[in-house]
Amino acid sequence: MSQEIAHSERQRDEDVLIQVRDLKTYYGSEQLIGGRPVKAVDGVNFEISRGETLGLVGESGCGKTTLGRTLLQLETPTAGEIRFDGTDITTLRGYELKEWRRNAQMVFQDPDSSLNQRMTVGEIVREPLDVYEWKTPQQRRQRVRELLDTVGLKREHYYRYPHQFSGGQRQRVGIARTLTLEPEFIVLDEPVSALDVSVQAEVINLLERLQDEFGLTYLFIAHDLSVVRHISDRVAVMYLGNIMEIGPTEELFTDPANPYTRSLLSAIPAPDPTSQKERVHLRGTPPNPRYPPSGCPFRTRCPVRIRPEEYEQLDEEIWDSLNRLEEILEERRRSRGAVDRFREKVGLDTRYATAAEIREELFEPLAVPDQVESVLDDVSAEIEAGDEMAAIEVLQAEFRTVCGSEKPSHHTVSDSGRTSYCHRHRDEHRDPKTAFEERT
Amino acid sequence: MSIQNTQTGTEETTTIQQKVLENKRPAAIWAVGMLVLVGLEFGRITGWVVTAGGVAALIFDLFVSLPAIIGSNVGGVFGFAGDFVATGVRLVTTVAVALLLLAIPAGTVRRLLPVSPAKELRPEMPVNIRLLVDRAIVTLGLFVAALLIVLTPVGGAVDSIIAAIQSLFDSAASVQTLTSRETIPNQGYESPSGSGWEGTFMGLSPALAWALRVTVIYLYATLLVFWIWKGYTTYRQHYREADWTPLDDSIDRFRGHKWGLFGLAVVFAFLVLAIWAPVMGPTTIEANHYEPYSNEFQYLGDSGDVQSTFHGTANIQSRSNGDSNVGPMSYDDYGRWAPFGTNADGKDLFTFLAFGARTSLVIGLVTIGLSGMFALILALVSSYYKGIIDLVAVMGSDTVQSIPALLLILMLMVTLREFEHPIVGIYDGGILLAFILAFTYWPGLWRSIRGPTLQVSESEWIDAAKSYGQKPSVIMRKHMAPYVLAYMLIYASLILGTIIITTAALSFLGIGIGAPTPEWGRMIESGRGYISTQSWHISTIPGIMIVFVVIGFNALGDAIRDAIDIEADISGESATGGAA
Ligand code: SF4
Repeated sequence: MSQEIAHSERQRDEDVLIQVRDLKTYYGSEQLIGGRPVKAVDGVNFEISRGETLGLVGESGCGKTTLGRTLLQLETPTAGEIRFDGTDITTLRGYELKEWRRNAQMVFQDPDSSLNQRMTVGEIVREPLDVYEWKTPQQRRQRVRELLDTVGLKREHYYRYPHQFSGGQRQRVGIARTLTLEPEFIVLDEPVSALDVSVQAEVINLLERLQDEFGLTYLFIAHDLSVVRHISDRVAVMYLGNIMEIGPTEELFTDPANPYTRSLLSAIPAPDPTSQKERVHLRGTPPNPRYPPSGCPFRTRCPVRIRPEEYEQLDEEIWDSLNRLEEILEERRRSRGAVDRFREKVGLDTRYATAAEIREELFEPLAVPDQVESVLDDVSAEIEAGDEMAAIEVLQAEFRTVCGSEKPSHHTVSDSGRTSYCHRHRDEHRDPKTAFEERT
Repeated sequence: MSIQNTQTGTEETTTIQQKVLENKRPAAIWAVGMLVLVGLEFGRITGWVVTAGGVAALIFDLFVSLPAIIGSNVGGVFGFAGDFVATGVRLVTTVAVALLLLAIPAGTVRRLLPVSPAKELRPEMPVNIRLLVDRAIVTLGLFVAALLIVLTPVGGAVDSIIAAIQSLFDSAASVQTLTSRETIPNQGYESPSGSGWEGTFMGLSPALAWALRVTVIYLYATLLVFWIWKGYTTYRQHYREADWTPLDDSIDRFRGHKWGLFGLAVVFAFLVLAIWAPVMGPTTIEANHYEPYSNEFQYLGDSGDVQSTFHGTANIQSRSNGDSNVGPMSYDDYGRWAPFGTNADGKDLFTFLAFGARTSLVIGLVTIGLSGMFALILALVSSYYKGIIDLVAVMGSDTVQSIPALLLILMLMVTLREFEHPIVGIYDGGILLAFILAFTYWPGLWRSIRGPTLQVSESEWIDAAKSYGQKPSVIMRKHMAPYVLAYMLIYASLILGTIIITTAALSFLGIGIGAPTPEWGRMIESGRGYISTQSWHISTIPGIMIVFVVIGFNALGDAIRDAIDIEADISGESATGGAA
């Protein structure tokens, strides 16, 4: 496996533009009163070749926008390095950083918010040139008009204000602004998701044309998978700050390796309605990134989570309920404050449900096997005693597997160097694809 | 990616000059009109320029005197060697202040230079360092030039040139204008032959002559404002590149705002009264109020002959104190016209109130100017950097707000007056009051604009600007301030009303502006005992004026708020609907 990675790296080495190593961006850790940081980006590794488009997908809140902003040094990374053309840009300061910024620009999601409405389109597009005192003002104006032309606007739009344009045209203004400094790398943060469907295609075509014309490298962030599939050469799938799977687009879309990718892809309606592909539902919402699950980040929602041998045949719904139970207990443990403890001590009602109530809600109509039932009894006892930690431990002792106890590693899953972040690629477990087929 | 486009050349970038040259007529008409208007009041406008120059010189002097103050303070610490140390410190700080002052114009001079000195020296120097070095070189150059001027005979020549210019301006400022008292005089005496009035404009009665002058002043001011507006519309119609700007909509909305137009009219009336105060009253403030025993005037005596007496003497006979009374719209026994009657000292109330308006305006503007400027800069900086700076600002404003304002004003006014601090001399404590009010008002202002400023600071266009390396100061000025300024404008006009009331109230209580500087609140106070007598006008008229002015400013603020439609502005209401 490691050989394969080394091989693919050597292949791309000479034309790699961006190389990201163990990048972490945490929020809120600099707070005055100590608190747990939000781990928006939690150790990602990838690279982007020159002229390539890397798609970055994931549900909202998964950290994809933060990753994009960190690549542009709009956020300060907590750890790790970002090599741009060989230089670690996280160490750049002051003048060097300013000079580097010419190389990397960003197109924002919402043109309403990314264009200052008090400035004319000409002033907006011209501003980067003013910052670097490029040539003479006359030549700057000239260049801006040419850029407006390039992105499909009219030269005489120079003196119009953003308000006078449609959403699609405004996004073109935003694109023109990113082109002014002739960057090599552009982060496209959901560049079409705020636009009407009818104009999305036009803007996508424009972006593709510009890439060909100027040899641009794109990081295309989106949650619309069909757009990503259309424009990207490779795709990275992100979940709770981790890259779950990364590899060539077609391969990843037709034969996803990672359980999360698989769930995400089946959550969108297949373009071909006759397709018999099974639908897996992505249950619930992602956990709070301030308290990511131990082990694999996806384990609370994973349909093919590795189970202990003896519970292999346990009903799917019971598993869901067990997961929910653990989540509830975790939440309770975190939110339990001093006041609650005091109220419990003196025998007052707390705002929490009793163990019986929880069990009733989660397990009532289900046929729970005796073995599970007895574990639940133990859990209930601990809840009644007010010790959630112990209750969680009881649960975990019985049902926890490698998915909850160990972080997976990035397994290479195909010749193209595609990697997937899941324990199921280890030899002792069935691979995700087989597991999916079995469970559904 | 280089886009060559030589065939289009540069012809599409027309400048405003080119546009004017292409279509001269509207600009020429407007310019001629403006010249006539300015010409009519040339002396007065020059006077304003001289005053503005005086204020600027005062501030400049303050900076320049810093080294001397620092020098003597430091020198005092060092005992016997003090003189030597003081001279050294003074020299160093003088040079430092001079360099700092010269660094301000240096930026502009650098931009005008055809070559970059640093680039000539070391072509490979990085851009931002180059700009700094350029500026330093230009500053040094200016410093050397200034030294040469000061230390050589050229200095004397320059001095005399400046003095000549100054006296030129001064004499220009004394030229008679359309609204001068001399153009339409209203002071005179009834001719003994009974055939009308002597000394007044075309023999009109003083009342009519005065009314005529006031009307001319207001007509002129209205015309001036209209012509400036006309200039804007001419520009908008013929010369502006953009066929629409966001401001157009706001202006259109304001024009349809009846309540706001009323407010504007009241504020306009107040401003004209304050600005033209010296020629508003039927008599001058010096003769009637400040030095009544140095100024004589003529009147028709009982015996039928023309006599002359001091204003002071006549004032004693013209008191409005319940027993005797010179009410509004009447003459006193000396044939002096008193549109608002006289006060308890027999002085003309209208003249007093016109200058009172001036006092209120100056205090209001100084207060708003200082506290608004500080609040704005603080809001921009604290919401751009957030974190610890924001926290410090919050604590600072809380601290200031926790000080009881009235107590602070009382304490400072009384102690500084006691020590005869020079600042108390300006406007009899007026400027000091403005400073204290500015100090107590900034936290409120800052809090009001903090929310919107934070909101703007979250806009993505700021991230965009950061991503291409725009300087924080420029981001704040260009991408944040315009949005916050709208709020500032609203709060400024609201608070201006409050300041006028506060000043009046404090003066009423006797801790605001002292005598003799005219102030509305003090006049209300002095007439308060006669409210129920025939001399009711002394308190009532200034009271009504305050009410009107405050309502006017509030209406103006309301209208600006409605016109600017700020909420839509920041959040971008026309969003095409976006997924988060
Ligand atoms: S490691 Fe376990 S929980 Fe995570 S994706 Fe793989 S099977 Fe699912």
